[in-house]
Amino acid sequence: MRERILALLRIGLGAAFVYAAVVKLPDMAAFAEDVANYRLLPAALVPAFGSSVVGVELLAGLALVAGVAARGAALVLSGLMLAFVGAVSQALLRGIDLRCGCFGGAAPASWWTVGRDLFILGGALVVLVLGPGRLFPRRGDAG
Amino acid sequence: MLETLRQAALVAVAGLGVGLAGNALSPRPAPLGRPVHAAAEATAGACVEGSSGVPAAPIPRISAQEAAAMCAACTAGFVDARSARDYEAGHVIGAVHLPPVGHPEEAAVLARLAALPAVIVYDDDTSCALAEGVARRLQQRGVREVRVLAGAWPAWVAAGGPGASGACHLCQHGPEASR
Repeated sequence: MRERILALLRIGLGAAFVYAAVVKLPDMAAFAEDVANYRLLPAALVPAFGSSVVGVELLAGLALVAGVAARGAALVLSGLMLAFVGAVSQALLRGIDLRCGCFGGAAPASWWTVGRDLFILGGALVVLVLGPGRLFPRRGDAG
Repeated sequence: MLETLRQAALVAVAGLGVGLAGNALSPRPAPLGRPVHAAAEATAGACVEGSSGVPAAPIPRISAQEAAAMCAACTAGFVDARSARDYEAGHVIGAVHLPPVGHPEEAAVLARLAALPAVIVYDDDTSCALAEGVARRLQQRGVREVRVLAGAWPAWVAAGGPGASGACHLCQHGPEASR
């Protein structure tokens, strides 16, 4: 039962990251603008960093869904979520009014965004520590 | 533990490659060779005319009423410096989209703008930071008569200026909407 819950958590988490990446792909320039508005990175690094974030979200998300290198993907996404929590928090504390950029669209960054990111971080840490789980029992386990 | 670290390194490096490839294939790629500045850092300057205590802006302002008259008379082209999403949601009729990060058809857009008697740039912020940056770039690329819309997009809407997502039917020979 625990294995199945872990697997469902892993797949849900992976699907969320795949979705987050896919909605950004059609307009990578807009996402680069969103990244720049956090005012954390040198302007010259913003486009490459933004592109890399989308690629890592996509690949790590797919890895979680497929259950391949799941712990490694969960570690990468934990680091990413930690960075997102830090980036959004510093922007809010500095009074920077900006779009989150998290799932495309024009949703503004808020403390709700931080809470949601912490929740996702928690999910990624669970997969990292407890493992990817199993949707179906191994052959022989049922008997 | 070591295996997890090895997997993580693999996912991160491969993800970086996937991201750069995805950017190259994107219809609106991030400009890898060009810096992208935060909107608020693009430049300073007062967007609203007559605001006191603010240094004179180098790009002349134009009121929404004057700009609307120039649009109706086809004597000016409009440039939308906001994000693609904002542009798609609604823009000055016939305006071309040219954000600070630029876009792939920028050279063609600039060539068309340079042929117009005047170009009016706008964004959606009363500080006009984005519009100022784009207006300066237009000046540097040979567009002579460049103005920034005072009060930005909200002023245009408040003045009842025509807005659409299609080509400007008032300006048959002016720039067409582009995304």
